[in-house]
Amino acid sequence: MNAQNHSVAGRRLPRLDGVGKVTGKHVYAADFKLPGMLYGKVLRSPRAHALIKKIDTSRAASIHGVRGIITSADIPAIRYGTAVRDTTVFAVDRVLFVGHAIAAVAATSLEIAERALEAIEVEYENLPTLFDPEEALNSNIRIHPNWETYKALPIIARSGNIAGQARIRVGDVEAAFAKSYKVYEHRFTTALQHPGYTEPRVATADWDANGNVTVWCNTQLPFDTQNTLAEILDLPSARVRVTVPGIGGGFGGKLRIGVEHFAALLARKTARPIKVMSTSEEELTAALPRQASVVLVKTGVDKDGHLLARSGKIIVDCGAYAGSGPGTAAISLQVMAGPYKTGALELEGIAVYTNKVHSGSFRAPAGPMANFAMECQMDMIAKDLGLDPLEIRLRNVVKEGDPGPSGEIHKSVSIEECLRKAANAIGWHDRKPEPGRGKGIACSWWMTTGGSSGVYVKINPDGTATLVSGAVEIGTGAITGAAQILAEELSLDLTDVNATGVDTQAAPFDYGAQGSRTAFSVGNACLAAAAELRRQMFELAAKQLDAPIEGMSLQDKHVIAGNKSISIAELARISRLAGGGLIAHGTAISPAPPYDPTRVQNHPLPVWNTPSYHAHAVDLSVDQATGKVTINRYVVAQDVGYAINPTYIEGQIEGGVAQGIGQALSEEIVYQDGRVMNANLTDYKMPTAMDVPEIESIIVECRSAAGPYGAKGVGEPPCIEPPAAIGNAIAAATGCWPNSLPMTAEKIAAALRVQQS
Amino acid sequence: MSFDFHRPATVTEAVDLAQRLFPTARFIAGGSDIVIQINRKKIDPSHLIDVACLPGLSGIAETSDEFTLGALTKYHTIETHPAFAGSLRALIEAASVIGGRQVQNIATIGGNIVNASPAADFVPVLLALDAVLDITGPNGSRSVPLQDFIVGPGKTSLLPVEIVTSIRLAKLPARSATAFVKEGRRRAMEISVVCVAACLTLEAGGSRCASVRLAIGAAAPKVFRAKAAEAYLEGQLADQTSFAEAGKLAAEECAPISDVRASADYRRRLVSIMVERALTACFERTGEERR
Repeated sequence: MNAQNHSVAGRRLPRLDGVGKVTGKHVYAADFKLPGMLYGKVLRSPRAHALIKKIDTSRAASIHGVRGIITSADIPAIRYGTAVRDTTVFAVDRVLFVGHAIAAVAATSLEIAERALEAIEVEYENLPTLFDPEEALNSNIRIHPNWETYKALPIIARSGNIAGQARIRVGDVEAAFAKSYKVYEHRFTTALQHPGYTEPRVATADWDANGNVTVWCNTQLPFDTQNTLAEILDLPSARVRVTVPGIGGGFGGKLRIGVEHFAALLARKTARPIKVMSTSEEELTAALPRQASVVLVKTGVDKDGHLLARSGKIIVDCGAYAGSGPGTAAISLQVMAGPYKTGALELEGIAVYTNKVHSGSFRAPAGPMANFAMECQMDMIAKDLGLDPLEIRLRNVVKEGDPGPSGEIHKSVSIEECLRKAANAIGWHDRKPEPGRGKGIACSWWMTTGGSSGVYVKINPDGTATLVSGAVEIGTGAITGAAQILAEELSLDLTDVNATGVDTQAAPFDYGAQGSRTAFSVGNACLAAAAELRRQMFELAAKQLDAPIEGMSLQDKHVIAGNKSISIAELARISRLAGGGLIAHGTAISPAPPYDPTRVQNHPLPVWNTPSYHAHAVDLSVDQATGKVTINRYVVAQDVGYAINPTYIEGQIEGGVAQGIGQALSEEIVYQDGRVMNANLTDYKMPTAMDVPEIESIIVECRSAAGPYGAKGVGEPPCIEPPAAIGNAIAAATGCWPNSLPMTAEKIAAALRVQQS
Repeated sequence: MSFDFHRPATVTEAVDLAQRLFPTARFIAGGSDIVIQINRKKIDPSHLIDVACLPGLSGIAETSDEFTLGALTKYHTIETHPAFAGSLRALIEAASVIGGRQVQNIATIGGNIVNASPAADFVPVLLALDAVLDITGPNGSRSVPLQDFIVGPGKTSLLPVEIVTSIRLAKLPARSATAFVKEGRRRAMEISVVCVAACLTLEAGGSRCASVRLAIGAAAPKVFRAKAAEAYLEGQLADQTSFAEAGKLAAEECAPISDVRASADYRRRLVSIMVERALTACFERTGEERR
């Protein structure tokens, strides 16, 4: 089908979940209640690293209204985790960070549960602590002394405090450095950042008479949560039902189990429904934030600024458990290579344990950290060589058919177009030296995460379609996007599609609302389901109309065969009475492209699927005395392959840039001696509407082979470039590069003073 | 957290209630601060006495020589009050950056004063205007200068059974202007890293400072007047050199802490920069009258 002729896909149609959300009728997991429900609270460690000598819950248990208390002694000794199975529900014998769960209480009210937590007596014996990831690399202190007994994905390379270590090697990097005209070496640091979703992590659990548990929660990955719960509860997964009434944002922070296990365990203990919801303090001390990191980049260039060699090392501070650290450290290698041709590469990513909160997969994990380092260094090189920052990028960007870092072939490449469009829009070529004002540019590439999707689609007797997907509508509009594809293929209106919420008992498997994949992958599954429905309808229509299937088409909710036609609704009614209904199962999987495995070591995501390309440009002012940054204009040119719904793509770009501005300028979970100093939303500084300028989005459409109508992943990329683009603009305005995130006014003012003296 | 909620109809009733329920009762007006304190378990009152709807404590009255601001006046009311658009513009500037729009529509100026945060945004402006507070308690009413009212971080001379009912501001002489400047990590919902209010009156002729009042927030245990800088400026030429010198003096006078929001060193530098900027803004605003 020619995308230009689409009547539903590609249009700015209102989202299916929009009215409920803007009128407050939409039920989120936090709204969910059951009769007789108890409230659960979690006791969290005040120590960063200590032996637990004794836990005495007797005084707490005697409080009126307390219905149950559990500790690690009450549950099976299970370790779970994605890359490394190192995580436990409660601290076992030792606490590993301030905020580590020790016990959970169920009570008739939140206040009683909180009082009970205070009445639990825990004796500790302090252990030596490790807070600095670089120190942890070489320390004799072990955060997990028995790490060798933990199971892990076979690809993950571990040792000591290192939870995972991946490498990409291309060519002879030492020889390439040796023949470089100049070699640049820089060090950057980035900070711990909370995903900033509006709704805290929440779960309500209830067990039925047959010993099955249902959990209503706001996970991004219902099937992953179902499996993890089954392991923790020691049950077959079919006896665990996870359903997501609604989710108030996730941004990768709700991929892995959050409070669901506490709710399920307390509900089993008390035989009552239990609700557990994180507080802001728990969110900022014990959720799954973006890792802090240290990035070292060394780059060799020729006289004209062509990249000859790059070695890089990223140290990802994954906290007390591996979490997403090993994957994040590995993915950072592709980001550090960038959308550039480089003669030789030697890149290493290390995830290391420390006595701090374990971290997750915040939107484009590793993207902004590695990009900040790599793209700021590009500008430093350009300045040193007297080159325009746009020009040095254009000289190095990949072209159609060039090999990527893993030896894969870059296809439907649009990086030059994105760079030129972003530069033109920001007025790059009209730059004039102006004290305290500067423009910056940065670019990157990013994957569309694979994984399988299945949908069931049923045609109802009124001619509408019900779409059952295992993917959560996380707020991006992705399910509306998939429904637009389904409606397009079935000649329906978007409003004819009813998308259901996710229930693991009823929905087909989906790899989940993560990795810029939902609209892409569920959309592909909808294409497959629509093809199957067309087959069923044409077959039935052939009988009804006495016409051949060849040449049949769908138009305006009818099957057309020559001058005969029959409505989809009529076919659905006939099928329901005589054939079991028009129902299809559509599936999609996007296989990894071919690559050269000799280049990649111990990498769980060795090659990127259907990459997208993008460039950001910013015009900002810096107060030369206070260091305060004011963003005047912000432009994004992003290749989305095919814009399924331009409005929601712009929404993704605007939201991602806002998060990126936060990471660039203001957000940081601040640790001091193992304790979070700003565990509240007064001092954890997400940008407000007053801090984010209007974001100008330029949608570039360079069709992919794998996505629906040529779409590429959209959701994650917009938060990758802001720290680098803003850092480069600050440098243009002031002459100094802040090499540490967030680039606060205080840091910029300090850099200006050093420069002045 | 559990409390009884009382809604007295008059100031007298409110004071009586407070006396009866002392010491377990707290007054609540807009609640923008006390609710957070309760939620974060900083305080745990058994009784909350809601004064938000008490009659006669809201709004702005004007006589020939002063303004009286009801203690329950909201920031949005101040921001949009036409009489403050002139020499008292600092009132508008502070009111428009306190919290965000929601806070500005619920929080009260009396609350900001009795809360006595070292980083309170409205207090520096009132202090620079030599505000006087009217207070009602069991023994009747009294008036006290704001300067004497706040005694330390979170500490005032208000008795738990007393209510601030109004704030009085003397009108400024001719050739006067005010300015308020605030620095923080973001542009709304932000507790000041440093805030500065300045009130400048020029001598006849317009080239020298007749009197200067400088109040600084978030740079000492309480909002304070930079007396050395004020004294230096009196009789000085009103120009960039003297304003910069005043900034330096104020930076020497302040006693900031290092915390998660900023270092003491950065705060001290901000004081210097912001005092100079606030004075410059004042001077520019007297432009009409100088001519």
